[in-house]
Amino acid sequence: MRVEYINPFVEAAFNILTEVLKTEVKRGELYLKSSSMPVLGITAIVGLAGDVEGRVLFDMAENTALEVASAMNGEKIEKNDELTKATITELANMITAQAVTKLHEIGFQFDLTPPAIFTGNNMEVTDVAIEALIVPIQTTFGKIEINVAIREKK
Amino acid sequence: MKTKMDFPNINQRKPEGLREDGKPFRVLIVDDSMFVTKQIGQILTSEGFEIAGTASNGEEGLEKYKELYPKVDLVTMDITMPVMDGVTSLEKIVEFDKNANIIMISALGKQDLVKKSLLLGAKNYIVKPLDRKKVLERVMMTLK
Repeated sequence: MRVEYINPFVEAAFNILTEVLKTEVKRGELYLKSSSMPVLGITAIVGLAGDVEGRVLFDMAENTALEVASAMNGEKIEKNDELTKATITELANMITAQAVTKLHEIGFQFDLTPPAIFTGNNMEVTDVAIEALIVPIQTTFGKIEINVAIREKK
Repeated sequence: MKTKMDFPNINQRKPEGLREDGKPFRVLIVDDSMFVTKQIGQILTSEGFEIAGTASNGEEGLEKYKELYPKVDLVTMDITMPVMDGVTSLEKIVEFDKNANIIMISALGKQDLVKKSLLLGAKNYIVKPLDRKKVLERVMMTLK
């Protein structure tokens, strides 16, 4: 997978998380994963289809999601309810929108699906035909992994 | 015996959400995200605005506007929504009330739809992520 696909997502995640969480955000080392890998607990998924196709996951542990939702709502949220899911969905929307704007500017045209949220333990994601690049983003609320699997359409 | 004196608070300012006569401006929030609806609601009510209604898609937004009219001063309208999108809803509200004050709420990258909305009669727009300063600035700009 070309790295130019993932950089806009990393930059957008960094910008949006810094702005909405008002906390220090650090980018970890990018790594490649081609087989199945576990997901952390609460995951927003956005699909892409057009000149490029694939999906982006925003993956975090439940505790991190609750802390992120609390920070974004300005109130303590203690359980993974509808508001938590709506908040994480909105976070995924904002990051994806900023990343996609950059990709459109450099000439890639594609559409997005609305984010869907997956919740649960012992889940894993498998991309048979596309390799995935993962960028861990460290926040004071815990780790958020941006997992991007995109390929050019043949 | 009176032990405490109440001094008038000379630093107190009138909240932005109140008219000259002290009554609140009434706002309709149209957004499919519970998070965004709550966020806009919190920012506006903290400044004295009244949330006259909320709707989770453009069609419901249009119906609510007609129901509330003329007791509605401002609409915040998301662009991407199921059933009826924000641009179509804006168009229909403006058809019904050409003086409607509608602010489009946009994700980044929807410049074309924002431009179209402004041509169709939207008074202003805000690009997400939303924050207190951005929302109040655009709302007051629209109401003045």
